[in-house]
Amino acid sequence: MSRQEKQIRTHAKLAGDIQSWMIMLPGLLLMTFFVWEPLFESIRMSLYKTRNVELVRFIGLDNFISVTGKDDFLQALQNTFSYTFWSLLIGFALPVLLAMLIGETTRGKGFFRTAVYLPNMLPGLAVIILWSAFFSGERSGVMNILLGKLGVLPQSYLTRAELVIPIIIVIATWKGAGATALIYMAGMSSISPELYEAAAIDGASVWRRILHILLPAIRKLAGTLLILQIISVFQIMYEPMVLTKGGPDNASLSLMQLMWQYAFGGAMNYGKASAVAVIVTLILLVMTAVYSYFNRKESDWD
Amino acid sequence: MKSAQHTGVIREYDLHAASVKAGYGVIIFLCCLTVMLAVFPLVWVILAGFKDLKEFVSSTRIIPESFSTEPFTTTWSQLGIAKNYLNSLISVAGSVACALIFNGLLGYGIGILKPRGYKVVKRLVMISLLMPATISIVPLFMNIQKFQMGNSFLPLWLSFGANAMYVILFEQFFESLPASIIEASRMDGCSQLQSFFHIVLPLSKPICAVISIFAINASWSDFLLPYLVLRGAEKQTVMVRLFVFSTEQTVNADAMMRSVVFAMIPPIILFFIFQKQLTENAVSVGIKG
Repeated sequence: MSRQEKQIRTHAKLAGDIQSWMIMLPGLLLMTFFVWEPLFESIRMSLYKTRNVELVRFIGLDNFISVTGKDDFLQALQNTFSYTFWSLLIGFALPVLLAMLIGETTRGKGFFRTAVYLPNMLPGLAVIILWSAFFSGERSGVMNILLGKLGVLPQSYLTRAELVIPIIIVIATWKGAGATALIYMAGMSSISPELYEAAAIDGASVWRRILHILLPAIRKLAGTLLILQIISVFQIMYEPMVLTKGGPDNASLSLMQLMWQYAFGGAMNYGKASAVAVIVTLILLVMTAVYSYFNRKESDWD
Repeated sequence: MKSAQHTGVIREYDLHAASVKAGYGVIIFLCCLTVMLAVFPLVWVILAGFKDLKEFVSSTRIIPESFSTEPFTTTWSQLGIAKNYLNSLISVAGSVACALIFNGLLGYGIGILKPRGYKVVKRLVMISLLMPATISIVPLFMNIQKFQMGNSFLPLWLSFGANAMYVILFEQFFESLPASIIEASRMDGCSQLQSFFHIVLPLSKPICAVISIFAINASWSDFLLPYLVLRGAEKQTVMVRLFVFSTEQTVNADAMMRSVVFAMIPPIILFFIFQKQLTENAVSVGIKG
């Protein structure tokens, strides 16, 4: 290849690269406008005193100090961990169990798969409003009707501090568990049936097959879904907003809801709202980092 | 889905043992119970829609007294839901178009063209997957105001053109296409853009269908950003209207339940038409989203 030819090729490559970047440009601009710049901007804004959309002046960590010093922040932080606890208790093992049950069926598997996925398609807001009628304290509330058949007297649910968070988690689990179960089912179907056959020939009971073949095979998947579940619990916001307005007495107030209140709840304090957002982001980043650290360690052993 | 092939822990010969056979019966029972739990609230809200206010707040029966559709038609026209349906339709149509075009082109760039430096973009997109969208809703809202895009569908449409999950889904699908076809088209003198529209897109109908279905549903269900952006009553979508109802409590409880039914009808129709695509792709979307 002569020097000239080489030069032409480099030019062609360069022209091609420029053309490629031009094709990606609209998408990149939108990602910048809607995702990347806002993430960066919320960090910057959290360090400023704001008035409406204007940054008035740099005030260092004052927003953070003022936000974290308030009682509602501590309550929301505690609530968010309480949400996580209940979500793991109610919602973590259930999809695994569902996937195992549906995976064992021979007839009607397609029907079961479809039916459990249905709630996931419904708009989250409509679901919350629907369930608010279930847990209504009136005599006509669905829970009171159903429990009334068992002789339980009508009672209120959403005004009881110890019940609101578990109820919100039950609703979220109703909506999401089926979709998660499908993911586990996909993981389980990649286990070779020959493994079970071989174990059965060696005399392993059904329980032992579950314990020693099925569960180890989905362990890594379960780890990934665990971290995704925690991330999604930290985003809980409109559920308490609509169902309980964060009450009773802030008992269901979540961190993201607190952020929304600072920004759009009348005060329009975007700086403090951003401070809350940054705190949530930091918690999520730490958890993701811890998870990927352990995940890497584990794959080293494999 | 090959239902004939048995992949479960319980093997066929296990069923000879009485205990396993009984266990299998329990499994079927539990599956049916789960289906009932999944479907009952939905059936209930539709039944509740037939009740008038008096019956809704006082009756302790699940089944309504009458099955006249009159309450539904009255609520529909009184609240002017038709207008909100139209707005939702406009919002959804533009969002799907943006989701396909912009994420598709970006996915084409990092999946097939791969110009120098594309890895930086890919890394950035992967990182944004982990960051929940609502976390930066405040500065995003400010951006929209700065660009004078308030009270318009435009920012809602464009926001669907910046979806990290869709970009990755496109990118992975494009990577799986045979490179030789794309190279051949380039040899024949197609520009990069031409080969995207004439070669890549026609081959990508399955992934476009999947992303369209999920984008339709996501855009229909979205209400936080639309609520902030579409302040005027003129442009409110069904979901924004429902959110306003629920926060301002301006409608009666029975009309509220009928509004919930109206909000759920399109996703349910979508679900019944595309249940196969939805359940088969729940895995990739679930893990990445």
